Amino acid sequence: MAYEFTKEDLREIEKIKAKYPEVMPATLPTLWVAQRRFGHVEPEVQRLVAETLGLPEAHVHGVANFYTQYYKEKKGKHVLDVCTCLSCQLCGGYEILHHLEETLGIKAGDTTEDGTFTLNQVECLGACGYAPMLQVTNDKYVNHLTKEKADELVDKLKNGEEPDYEQMKMPQHKNI
Amino acid sequence: MPEIFIDGHRYEFEGDHKVLQFIQDLGKEVPFFCYHPSMTAPANCRQCMVKAGQYMKDRETGEYEVDENGERVIRWFPKLQTSCNLMAADGMVILTQETDELVQRAQKDNLELILINHPLDCPICDQAGECPLQIQTYKYGPEGSRFEVKKVHKPKRIQLGPRVVLDAERCINCTRCTRFTQEISKTDQLTITSRGDKNYPTTAPGREFDDPYSLNTVDICPVGALTSADFRFKARVWEMNQTPSIDITNGKGTNIDLWTRDNLILRVTPRFNAEVNDHWMPDAGREAYKIFNENRISRPQQKLDGEQILSSWNNAIATLSEEIAATDNSKIVVIASPHASVEENYALSKYTNLLGLNQPVFTPHIEEGTGDDFLLSDDVAPNANGCRLLGFTELDKASIKKEIKKAELVVILHDNLIDREVIAADDLKEKFVVVFATNNSDTSKAADLVIPITTAAEHAASYVNVDGRIQRTYRAKETKYTERRLDLEMSEGRLDRYGTNFDNWVTEDNKIDCLPVWKFINRISEHSGLECNFNDGREIMDEIASTLDSFTGVSYAAMDEQAGIQLSIKKETSTSK
Repeated sequence: MAYEFTKEDLREIEKIKAKYPEVMPATLPTLWVAQRRFGHVEPEVQRLVAETLGLPEAHVHGVANFYTQYYKEKKGKHVLDVCTCLSCQLCGGYEILHHLEETLGIKAGDTTEDGTFTLNQVECLGACGYAPMLQVTNDKYVNHLTKEKADELVDKLKNGEEPDYEQMKMPQHKNI
Repeated sequence: MPEIFIDGHRYEFEGDHKVLQFIQDLGKEVPFFCYHPSMTAPANCRQCMVKAGQYMKDRETGEYEVDENGERVIRWFPKLQTSCNLMAADGMVILTQETDELVQRAQKDNLELILINHPLDCPICDQAGECPLQIQTYKYGPEGSRFEVKKVHKPKRIQLGPRVVLDAERCINCTRCTRFTQEISKTDQLTITSRGDKNYPTTAPGREFDDPYSLNTVDICPVGALTSADFRFKARVWEMNQTPSIDITNGKGTNIDLWTRDNLILRVTPRFNAEVNDHWMPDAGREAYKIFNENRISRPQQKLDGEQILSSWNNAIATLSEEIAATDNSKIVVIASPHASVEENYALSKYTNLLGLNQPVFTPHIEEGTGDDFLLSDDVAPNANGCRLLGFTELDKASIKKEIKKAELVVILHDNLIDREVIAADDLKEKFVVVFATNNSDTSKAADLVIPITTAAEHAASYVNVDGRIQRTYRAKETKYTERRLDLEMSEGRLDRYGTNFDNWVTEDNKIDCLPVWKFINRISEHSGLECNFNDGREIMDEIASTLDSFTGVSYAAMDEQAGIQLSIKKETSTSK
């Protein structure tokens, strides 16, 4: 399948390019444009980005491969990144992960057959204060996870709803 | 003049210098991996750490501040610095691993980190013996590793392109190869993929590393991550000996080293020459080792009843003398060659002069489209300018054909005229054809008499490149008539020195039965009562320099000292692009 940018995408890329004195820094935002459009940046999409920007293919490939947030292969519509790093692990990160594995019927790293969910086990996402937690498709954090909360999230996403943005309060210390 | 203090010694300098390069230019050492003098310094290997500081000066008086002992006060930079991208500044104080324990420790620990995931396969690694990582680990590294966990595994034996093989586990991510494709060959074919301990260089998916200069990345790779597909596992570095030479496959005259083992040229690597090729060479030139080894003509050959058979030198000399004597001078055409050296061409022309023949003619070997703006020119012969400077008549294809048509005896010096389609085999019919050749070819097959001659790897001779620079080769490979141990100009490898004829790695088969053109000329002129006596290329060049104005001042000694000599050539005749 040949990938192509739409006219709006191209206009956006032009705007991005105009922000920088050189083309090279436009690689990252343009890869985002591509990932939003196609859902991933497979090698063919990387090639499209390189051609659109007039940059070496190898460079775009290197950049895309450096960042885990760019999906180098096709993923589900919703990507659930469950943190199992130290804080989350202590607070039950693995339980949440295994629960999701059971609910979705897949192993960590896999995508459901209908292409709705991809489940990933990831390292620290910097929300240790609200452990255990997961991130939905490079975007919203779902904190203080319980099995019920995880089920609720899956149902919500299945129904096409967006997860809520949770505002987390910083702990208040009187003596500071 | 600005001054810098390195390990307690004071040096003066002018202009901009990076500290690492400055230290190297002094003949001293700081270990490093990613730095390369011809490329940018990203300082990512972290090996060239030094302690740097500055003598403190009183801002108002401009006087150095001194402590109670009268010593100048040094303000050290807060952390160790990478010397490769540290600019030398006036009053800078540098301590290297020679004098500072902290620097020693930093370099040692850095090596331990680099080695964590580096496989211990030196015994089977091609780079071993010329591996900066190996050498510097011996010199500056830790004695052992404290790392007890399984090493990270990465792809091995990846054919990056037609000529380069990648072993990602050996890679230390110095990015020399990616920078080479970005800054020198400008094909941008390589990048570093992934990150952390999983990264390694690669091409874009589905793309080949087919850069025409790709093998330079193998040379500059400080470990065995990139290896040459062709040379892989052929020989250990310490088994070979290394002889400087000149690339004879292109007019650019790239400086090279020939690596020999048991009189076979096993690989060709570039040799630094700032005026010609810097540190680089095109991949095409590395194929030349085959010319020296394979398909060689050994022993003179003569056509008998339409078939070439092995003859003898005496027979060849007698036959050629008889043919020359029997043919009218105006019916003899002597074709000199841009593929042969200045000395060979000169020796031949001297002989023809003594015979009273016309000056030799030659035709340049241009292949349109071969050239680029870097190290390849359209002129694929190494010595077209040499022929011009010797005063030979330059002819185009049609005129050469015409000359041959008129002649009855055709003498062709080391130029595959039929193979490169200057003439057809039919053009040589009904004529006596003498070919001086190194390798079997359609041209040598068409000859009635084939004289095997030495290649650039077997004689010391000079070539004038497209830009008019005269450079010379050295004898790298023995012939039947030369002996490495008696010839003080030939380099000896360990095997050359200690091997005997009874060892199974030594064979006589790789010595070709051939002569330098001038030796053959000596013998044939003696046979026909003429005075020609050339001992070696050095002598011939002295004679050329004293008789021809265009070669004034040229000698082997001068060429060796200055890495070649620039001659003045007419630019309009130059075919450089």
